Amino acid sequence: MNGYAIVTEKMTKVYGGGSLRLGIPGVPPSARAERGVPRSPPPVEDDARGIVAVDHVDMRVRSGGVFGLLGPNGAGKTTIIKLLTGLSDLTAGTAQVAGFDVQKDPLEVKQRVGWVAAEVILDDDLSGWENLWLQAKLQRLADWKGRAEELLKYFELTDRKKDKVGHYSTGMRKKLEIALALLHEPELIFMDEPTIGLDPNTRQMLWQLITGVNREFGTSVLLTTHYIEEADRLCSEVAIIDHGRFVAQGSPAELKSRVQADFVELETAEEVTDERLRGIPGVSEVRTQGKVWMLKVASAEEVIPNILRALDAGKIHRINVEKPSLETVFLNITGKHIDQVGADIPDYRKFYASMMRARR
Amino acid sequence: MSADVPRGPPGQRRMPPRGVVGGQWSQFSGLTARELIKTFRNPWVILITFAQPFMWLAFFGSSFANVSVAYLDKLLDAPPGTGYLDFLLPGVLATSMMSVGMFGSMSTIQDKRFGFMKRILITPTTKATVYLSKVVGSATRGLVQIPVMIVAAWAFGVHFNGSVLMWAGWIAGLVLLGIGFSAFFLAITASSTDWQTPGVIANFITMPLMFASGALFPASNYPGWMQTIANWNPVGYSALLGRGVLVYANPDWLYLGYLGLFALLMIVIGTLVAARYLRTE
Repeated sequence: MNGYAIVTEKMTKVYGGGSLRLGIPGVPPSARAERGVPRSPPPVEDDARGIVAVDHVDMRVRSGGVFGLLGPNGAGKTTIIKLLTGLSDLTAGTAQVAGFDVQKDPLEVKQRVGWVAAEVILDDDLSGWENLWLQAKLQRLADWKGRAEELLKYFELTDRKKDKVGHYSTGMRKKLEIALALLHEPELIFMDEPTIGLDPNTRQMLWQLITGVNREFGTSVLLTTHYIEEADRLCSEVAIIDHGRFVAQGSPAELKSRVQADFVELETAEEVTDERLRGIPGVSEVRTQGKVWMLKVASAEEVIPNILRALDAGKIHRINVEKPSLETVFLNITGKHIDQVGADIPDYRKFYASMMRARR
Repeated sequence: MSADVPRGPPGQRRMPPRGVVGGQWSQFSGLTARELIKTFRNPWVILITFAQPFMWLAFFGSSFANVSVAYLDKLLDAPPGTGYLDFLLPGVLATSMMSVGMFGSMSTIQDKRFGFMKRILITPTTKATVYLSKVVGSATRGLVQIPVMIVAAWAFGVHFNGSVLMWAGWIAGLVLLGIGFSAFFLAITASSTDWQTPGVIANFITMPLMFASGALFPASNYPGWMQTIANWNPVGYSALLGRGVLVYANPDWLYLGYLGLFALLMIVIGTLVAARYLRTE
């Protein structure tokens, strides 16, 4: 496996769309220069091509680590998991997982990977033990009971194993789901938004678990998240994904070192222009989103006094400083916060595409 | 957390022992057992399963209680002394096999809605296996009605004819009918995720096939077009097979052959459809 758990080449997924999508392999990575700006109205060929959820992704995930897919909602993270687990077919490109081609040998891949859903998926009518039993049947395990007992013990679920899963707490359900995913000793485990919707304590517990699973079981982990601190804390390597494309990849430290700058977010009632802000000493780049200005600066501490001198301090509503973090990496590349995007653009495009379909 | 967790050095992973490589038997048996566990753990299912046969026989079977024996014999085109219940029992059993597919279909849609279908399909389990386990699971659920119904009929004073072999053939016919309808039902709802679909389709299919079958009344009284439907209706084959055993003690085994053909055809077509169109969510 040359040390890689996942290798993809130009992996692409297009939802919907007409026959034109057959032309995808030849289509260059879409040159959508003004990404983020909804084109109005979208050109017709966009609808014919459908929604590009994953766009020519080349992915290399080393065995043994925790690899994070970081990006806003709707960036294509869940779709990537669906493609890599064989749940969904690739529109173009190839993907190798645990040494097997997902499209040619899906069953080989599936017996080597585990999966933990974002929404905890268990059979609530069955007990914890019965859920493990069913998973063993589905993975064709002959001798699983010892392993199941060990996992229950590790996850501190032993005394509840005969209770119906419907009566478990959220944290227990999540633990059981991870136990199911580990039952067949997978080489790689997929975790889709593992801590979404969890309270802070459970999240802490889960972070420890994920690290533990990775170290103690030697299982590679691929997780998706839109929480900066989660990616920073858990992942040995992070790929930042936006609109179905990898926009940056590396260890959290590497990524952070690439952005040798702070960001200052500024909201003011005053009429200001790009040029005026760029003229402030220490400001290297200016971006705008409606009434919010984003200034890239060498050092926020030194630049803020300059900003207050240059502008009418009384009219400033808000100043926010972003020190180097994965958030600033994302800011630097896309000009937006992670939780800002996702809501508007992809939905707008999906909505438009479905309108077009409905009208036909 | 305890530290005595099974850990293997990277690269020397001990793969757990597995069953037959490439086979789907383990998955199929597990999923079928799951269907049955879930079904029979529900007290309402048990109650309805046991109550329904009694209600059929009590309410519907009493429809001709005040009709003279001679007139009834003429109407049913049956040997003298045949009560309506004797005539009806094979028909009711055949009819009840028709709707069993609805249960499997509803449980499939529930699995899609709650994401469990994803959990299943991210294991080395094919869509055809999922489909077949649902077919067998829901057919089995229907089959439980057979002994209950027969005991109920006995309690209502139905005369039993026929040898053990004939009864075995009749019940085999019912099994085939249940599997056939279950396969048919699950195939047409394979791509559906709507809760309402199974109910709508059940009504759409059950009503015409029930009346145009000779299950409840003799088909000889039907108009021509309805007799044509009855001639092609597997529910009718099962009713006639059962009546041949129970009333005449002289069944026409050709009907069993037709039922076998029906079940086989539905399973083959359904498996092909499900392998391609079974939706994940």
